[in-house]
Amino acid sequence: MELTYQSQRVAYPYFVLALLLFVLQVAVGIWLALSYAVTMPQWLVDVIPFSTTRAIHTNLLVLWLLLGFMGSAYFMVPEEAEREIFSPVLAYVQLVLLAGTGVTAVVGFVMGWTKGKPLLEIPHPLDYLIVVGALIFLFNVGMTIFRARRRTVIQGSLLGGLVFLAAMYLFNLPFYANLTIDWYYWWWVIHLWVEGAWELVAAALTAWILIKITDVPRETVEKWLYVELGLFLFTGIAGTGHHYYWLGAPRYWLWVGGIFSALEPVPILLMLVDAQHYLKARRLEVKGRLIFTLAVGMAILHVVGAGFWGFLHTLPQINYYTHGSQVTVAHGHIAFFGAYVLLNLMFFYYAMPKLKGLAAYDERRGTVAFWWLSLPMIAMTLAFSVAGVLQTYIERVMGLGYMTAQAQMRFWFAILVVLGLTLLAGVILAVVDLLTLRAARPAGEPA
Amino acid sequence: MSAQAARWVFYLGTGISLVLFLGLTVDTHRQVQTLTHADQLSDAVVAGKRVWHKYNCNDCHTILGFGSYYAPDLTKVYWRRGSEGIKAVLRTPERFTTWRKMPRLPLSAQELEDLVAFLQWTSGIDTHDWPPQDRKFAAAAGRAVAVGLSPGATLFQEKGCFACHRLYETGGEQGPDLTHVGSRLDYETIERILADPRSVNPAATMSPPPLSHEERDQIGRFLAGMK
Repeated sequence: MELTYQSQRVAYPYFVLALLLFVLQVAVGIWLALSYAVTMPQWLVDVIPFSTTRAIHTNLLVLWLLLGFMGSAYFMVPEEAEREIFSPVLAYVQLVLLAGTGVTAVVGFVMGWTKGKPLLEIPHPLDYLIVVGALIFLFNVGMTIFRARRRTVIQGSLLGGLVFLAAMYLFNLPFYANLTIDWYYWWWVIHLWVEGAWELVAAALTAWILIKITDVPRETVEKWLYVELGLFLFTGIAGTGHHYYWLGAPRYWLWVGGIFSALEPVPILLMLVDAQHYLKARRLEVKGRLIFTLAVGMAILHVVGAGFWGFLHTLPQINYYTHGSQVTVAHGHIAFFGAYVLLNLMFFYYAMPKLKGLAAYDERRGTVAFWWLSLPMIAMTLAFSVAGVLQTYIERVMGLGYMTAQAQMRFWFAILVVLGLTLLAGVILAVVDLLTLRAARPAGEPA
Repeated sequence: MSAQAARWVFYLGTGISLVLFLGLTVDTHRQVQTLTHADQLSDAVVAGKRVWHKYNCNDCHTILGFGSYYAPDLTKVYWRRGSEGIKAVLRTPERFTTWRKMPRLPLSAQELEDLVAFLQWTSGIDTHDWPPQDRKFAAAAGRAVAVGLSPGATLFQEKGCFACHRLYETGGEQGPDLTHVGSRLDYETIERILADPRSVNPAATMSPPPLSHEERDQIGRFLAGMK
């Protein structure tokens, strides 16, 4: 099986790097859980504090998900635009630039070079290099679409999401003297990324795959894309307010944030209902079930993580007690996994066989990997949630000391270390499988 | 649903939410000036914020509930520990931690002052009574400072004694509870402990607090009355 456009190949190194960083991210996460569970000696804490490893864990997450999106976009855009990528060379330059910046940033964190803002620790001038990388990407994808013979809603959603994504990152660049204003705009990056820009990109990638693997006509897919994106942005933009309850902003954010974020599960549920229709219309010539397993898994865990766990603690009356506790951590893990990790994996499993020239591939390992990732992640979410409820009750309701609560939560972090190790095995299985896909036996192609 | 209706859902949904959000952002900017006492954003506070970023404090501690969850929230730490209490922890974190450690940070004296100024300013942000666990300190701080029960009570709060000691279930757990200390120790003994803790209890881990003779006298009277 040949690629339709040769320049789709640039996606491959993006995928490989993203997968390797995924392994590293989860490995560092285990170290974090261990830091909660056992006593790290003072000398070690002085050299590598928790803050450093936490910065590495979160930055690796963002970096690998973004590299995955970028590779996926480079794979998709030629087929959507019906022409080769504007400049494959620029795509490689962009990858080297972003990877180099990422590695420098991680080494810098260890040396204590940081901007000191959670999730956005990458300091000046490295953050400018990220902007340059993003601009190269935008230019390359934009020019490819600009010169396309046709205009599609998927192109628009992708390009809109990418412009939105790059624009929001700019709010990370200035120094804000007022802590409240600082956090106000921090959420423009973080929230408007994951509940705005990334959703646009993700929706475009998902819609494109659905067109490829089902008989649902493009017009129908694109129509629902409009509706879902409209609802995502309607609830997501003003829903930013659920982060503004307690940071020194006016009280009306309790109403705006509460109401709009209570509606946030609606578009996600719509996607789940939608997925059923697609499942019925699956194309017979698409061999194998793995893509569908991943798509359904994504739809369900998206509802559970971003939808249900998010809904649970965005009501102001509940959030007053759960804000900034391990409940947030539980939500963060399952939401990122359900919405974005599984999306990336689904796209990789769609694109990788084509990049390797396989018509059909042996998907047994991949299926095992899906469950080996999802079940530990669900268990981790439950463990974080138990820890979070303990923390909320002991520290915030009973009013006992912070460390008194942490002592009661320690057991659950020991459990999380074990679950993290299990998850890591699943990650390694998925990565090895994706990097060494083999032809399915009936295909009988010469090796 | 027709394709055109679907498009309208997109444009209207996005548009309404965006207009509302941007409008409220403009208003929030206006109100934040008073909600955060922005007039008190001195050079020291801003310098302290840079220190806060420099040592990446926020990737262990939360502030305003944001950041990492590995260590206590610092929004209202000034209420809990006062300036001397905060400085004591930053100078020798190993003395204040047990099974979860804080790194020893190479803070200069100036950085220490600025960081405290930043955390003092932060404690004044109107967070609609968040975090719930620190409301009791607001009451304690308010009573001692604003009502002025006694100069000794005010000093007890300002000098950070709450960092280690408790009064009526408010305060730290490193040192003894002082709620009924007056029934155990007389004024002279308390005054001697304040001058040099080891002169009374050779095993004391408390270092001599930086107090003037007059301040020792006032705190001593206050505590001797706690029966």
